[in-house]
Amino acid sequence: MERLKSIDNFKALQRRILSDVNPAIPTIVISAGTCGQASGANDLIRVSKRELLSRRLTDKIRLRITGCQGFCQMEPLVVVQPYGTFYPHVGVKEMSRIVEAVAAGQVLRDLLYVDPETGAIIEKQDDIPFFARQTRTILRGNEKVDPIRIYDYIESGGYSALMDVLARQDPPWVIEQVKASGLRGRGGAGFLTGQKWQMLADQRNGRGKFLVCNGDEGDPGAYMDRSVLEGNPHSIIEGMLIGAYGTGVTSGVIYVRNEYPLAVKHLVIALRQANELGLLGSNILGTGFSFDIQMVKGAGAFVCGEETALIRSVEGKMGEPRQRPPYPVQKGIDGKPTAINNVETWANIPAIFTQGAGEFAKIGTLQNTGTKIFSLVGKVRNTGLVEVPMGITINEIVNTIGGGPAGPARIKAVQTGGPSGGCIPAKMFDLPIDYQSLAQAGSIMGSGGMIVMDENTCMVDVARYFMNFLKDESCGKCFTCRKGTQRMWEILDDITQGKGTASELELLEELALVVKDTTMCGLGQTAANPVLSTLRYFRQEYEHHIREKRCSAFVCKDLVGAPCQSACPLGTEAWRYVAHLARGEYQEAYRVIRETNPFPSVCARVCDHKCESRCRLGTSGSRPVAIRALKRFITDHVDPSVFKAQPRVPTSPDNPRVAIVGSGPAGLTAAHYLSLDGYRVTVFEADQEPGGMLTSGIPAYRLRRDVLQREIESLLDENITLKCNTALGRDFTVDTLFKQGYKAVFLALGAHKSRRLNIEGEDLEGVYPAIHFLKEFNLQGKKLAKGHAGIIGGGNSAVDAARVALRQEGVESVTLFYRRLRHDMPALKEEVDLAIEEGIQLETLVTPVKIESRDGRLTGIQCVRNELGARDASGRRHPVPIRGTEFLRSLDTLVITIGDEPDIDYITSMGIEINERGTLRTDPDTLATSRGGVFAGGDVVTGPNTVVDAIAAGKKAAVMIGRYLRGEEMKPTEPVRVPQVYVAPCGISEEEAGGLRRAEPHTLPIELRKRSFSEVELPLLDEDAQSEAKRCLRCDLEFTEPRASEPELATAGVKTV
Amino acid sequence: MIELTINGLKLSVEKGTTLLEAARFLGFPIPTLCHMDGLTPYGACRLCVVEIGEGARARLVSSCTYPAEDGLKIRTASSRVMKARKMILELLLASCPQSKTIQDLASAYEVRQQRFKQEYETCILCGLCVRMCEEQMMAKAIGFRGRGEHRSIGTPFDVQSDVCRLCGGCMYVCPACQLRCTYTEPEKAICGGCANLSPPCLEKEQFDDMMCYMKPCVACEIRKD
Repeated sequence: MERLKSIDNFKALQRRILSDVNPAIPTIVISAGTCGQASGANDLIRVSKRELLSRRLTDKIRLRITGCQGFCQMEPLVVVQPYGTFYPHVGVKEMSRIVEAVAAGQVLRDLLYVDPETGAIIEKQDDIPFFARQTRTILRGNEKVDPIRIYDYIESGGYSALMDVLARQDPPWVIEQVKASGLRGRGGAGFLTGQKWQMLADQRNGRGKFLVCNGDEGDPGAYMDRSVLEGNPHSIIEGMLIGAYGTGVTSGVIYVRNEYPLAVKHLVIALRQANELGLLGSNILGTGFSFDIQMVKGAGAFVCGEETALIRSVEGKMGEPRQRPPYPVQKGIDGKPTAINNVETWANIPAIFTQGAGEFAKIGTLQNTGTKIFSLVGKVRNTGLVEVPMGITINEIVNTIGGGPAGPARIKAVQTGGPSGGCIPAKMFDLPIDYQSLAQAGSIMGSGGMIVMDENTCMVDVARYFMNFLKDESCGKCFTCRKGTQRMWEILDDITQGKGTASELELLEELALVVKDTTMCGLGQTAANPVLSTLRYFRQEYEHHIREKRCSAFVCKDLVGAPCQSACPLGTEAWRYVAHLARGEYQEAYRVIRETNPFPSVCARVCDHKCESRCRLGTSGSRPVAIRALKRFITDHVDPSVFKAQPRVPTSPDNPRVAIVGSGPAGLTAAHYLSLDGYRVTVFEADQEPGGMLTSGIPAYRLRRDVLQREIESLLDENITLKCNTALGRDFTVDTLFKQGYKAVFLALGAHKSRRLNIEGEDLEGVYPAIHFLKEFNLQGKKLAKGHAGIIGGGNSAVDAARVALRQEGVESVTLFYRRLRHDMPALKEEVDLAIEEGIQLETLVTPVKIESRDGRLTGIQCVRNELGARDASGRRHPVPIRGTEFLRSLDTLVITIGDEPDIDYITSMGIEINERGTLRTDPDTLATSRGGVFAGGDVVTGPNTVVDAIAAGKKAAVMIGRYLRGEEMKPTEPVRVPQVYVAPCGISEEEAGGLRRAEPHTLPIELRKRSFSEVELPLLDEDAQSEAKRCLRCDLEFTEPRASEPELATAGVKTV
Repeated sequence: MIELTINGLKLSVEKGTTLLEAARFLGFPIPTLCHMDGLTPYGACRLCVVEIGEGARARLVSSCTYPAEDGLKIRTASSRVMKARKMILELLLASCPQSKTIQDLASAYEVRQQRFKQEYETCILCGLCVRMCEEQMMAKAIGFRGRGEHRSIGTPFDVQSDVCRLCGGCMYVCPACQLRCTYTEPEKAICGGCANLSPPCLEKEQFDDMMCYMKPCVACEIRKD
């Protein structure tokens, strides 16, 4: 490389480079930043080089190795320029095919990016939603240059801005331009760069000044500076040269983390090349301007990102901050004036001078100009680096560019600004991203880390994680930072272990405020942010941990135990019966189930299996253990008589009497457990059969009637009297019950009134509310559906109604109308699949507007189509009607299933309060209503809910009523439940377990299903159940496995510490 | 000269004066642990925080390191300052309860409870000893090591320093252990190598626990003769 002696020399070189390039020749761009190399980009480079050489294509195709382009999720990726064809996740074999295709001028459609939301194949990089919504000023540069080739940088227009600046010979103009651009420092604090430079330029230049590029990026999950250092080091050098010219500085320092080896390597090469070309050093291009850059490698202390600590580190001392003032711009490295800017700030400088300060200032908002790179990571579909204009909302970044949540769980919050930042809850996602708004929300911009968290993230655990980081990374100089972070961690650790107290929470908050107030540097002043912001927005999670000893995200190990067990409202030890099943001990397994659940066979069929949705196998990427199907297997194989419920108090006619109103799962469960405690119970049922919704709501093809009856009968013993056809409000009141000598009343009335659509024609003949439709059939055998049937709704009862209608004679077709998309339906996914298999049509994105009729009888329904609008706080997109898309559908039957509510208008006259949701008001801890001695539980309190929740309410009611009758204290009872019984594992090797697939129960063949009410789901086969049970990860063993004593370990050759 | 206001009183001081010096000149008491006249201000213990600025811009700074600025308004005992000081003293008591200096300060500031898990540390990392050794004894025998909760004071690699003259200056200034070194009755001091002519010989492990940097032990050295 020849040393350039003048600006003209440079321009000649630039012309020569540009004339050498034939823009028509396609270029294969392989992204090989650290992320690319880690995913295998080096192999792709090798393969493509070999292919190009062996096919003699070196003149016809260019190959460019670049830094990270941002879409790290899709690495290793290849882009073919100038077409912009984007190939994600390229393997070695695909690479050869790509070279071949490029040579032939073809596009390989099978390798292109597929939009996960729409399923569309997208060819061009710029059309991919992830890229389309970004404004890539800086990251675009990464695609254009090979970071180790200065000629590449010059070819893409690099160093032209410097030439303009040098040619103008007007340093104050440089500072004016930066001021006019409104650029704020990208390191986190957002100080105006132009102002900082002005201050530096105004300092007397007696002994020299320094410009520093701060590349000590240490926030967990943030790597935007790395990608610029690795991918485009010359842009930083150019930025520093311009800055040095404007401020009259002759020495520069690039401080970069030693943990970024590729960045260090590329910087060393870039600095050498710039020196050789005469762009660095003394008398640059004959202008008399001299500037040298020295690279300093940081030894890995997070605090060295703080400017005063960085200065000490550059000086070769221990990295610890000092008091400001004096500010570095007055006294910096070796006591000389020093201006420190972040990597991204420097990378913005050439952009300002290339496009003009005025143009730059137009991007973003008035106070926050330009673009900002965010490192979008965590529980979001598209992770990577995104560059967006300032002032864009969090919603756009997370849900539009990021593509929303990565899994089924909803997004709960984002954490911005790394360990010193704070969490912003999903309900505030309309917040624009700028320095001021984030600070107001209790977070900081920081260098741009953005960690997305979903419902499986525990905010207390997040705060604890960051505090653990900070207590190690605090320099330790300020007592309040060193001890404060330790003590905050200690308290947070206590809370996550279930040892926290309410007073500790107060202390935590008090301490956090003092730490924020009294520390010297930015690290300490923001160290309390993770605690303060999670306390501000997620205090209820802290309180759950402390009061109820529950971690709702199922993260805190000591509170969760085995997730399947703690997810179950009944606390069923799912892990335990699965373990027994795997060992072939079926009777033992049945006893475990029956111990906590009086309706094992019912739950084995219709439970919504919260255990499965929390199964660690499922949350860690595989599919959860089929716990419900295994329970079905056990209940089908074991005679219920192996479990004998043991009465705790002998029956006697003198025992107090309890009235239970309603014989659904809640009522019968309460009756059963009260009876075991010796109380005499009378159960009143309004319908002619017991069972509540189990009998009247759930169709027989899901829950066999003989199974249900057997289970109900097994619970009715000599202490329990059942009175059917007796309804509260009609046949008796609460007062009459007390008059008759009942000492306590439990209201388990259920929710038996269907909600109305509130549109015209709901009372026509042929239009039925869901409950009425199902009850008429399940209890009376009346078949109300005929001809073309329509069902409105997307819940479980909608699917039930649809499948019941399909099975009635004279029905030609059944259509479900739902306002959102299929995967938004609240019904169990398996049920929806089965319904569609059976031939039920699904109309999604429609809302009914009007019911059509002739002579008082339904003839059809008018609907309007919806499109999905903005995402609401839940992360689901809201349906918005499209004008002019109304359509008519002829129907003979219409069932409205948009939700149920309790039918309890009469109850206030009995002295029992109703809340604003139309359900009974109870104390959540004791289930007591506003009237003494009257308790309530189940759907009448919660609104339509699951069977297992009703059973749990019944169990709790039995405990509370017992306490009430014995005059004991009414305190909540929910001790920490971690696995306590050791069941030896069945000894399956990891390879064996890895090869097992989740066993799905077979279903009855379609032709047998359509017109019959025989049970659809078949039990698992023996060997399937066995192997399914063996898939269990056995989370319980961590708590129950007996620890081998030290002598035993010693003989086994294991060393103990 | 720089004009500033401390607790409502106007004062003019020379450039380079710290807020602590200015406040003490007027007689306002500000507690310190890591400050000592004759040593460079360090700002580690944070006990000397005072409130500066007004309204939303008001903040706490350590008065021992903050230089006087023209027009600055300082409050040395506002409720925000007192709340912070009490919490700092509570943290100090939780870590180093046996120090007489800390006990006295806590008592003076009416700290009546200590709500953290009790620790018994022998060092609060105020750095007085390090500065004493470097600035007054011109030795630089000891320094800080590690960071965060692993920060400690000692010699590089725990090897005895060639430049240590066993002067005992480090112990003399220590707020956490000064009592045992400068006990009013030297014979009863645990070590008292600095003041005691016939120091008791202690087991080596105990000696290490005492954060004493005198190696070899003065007591042993004296007995050798």
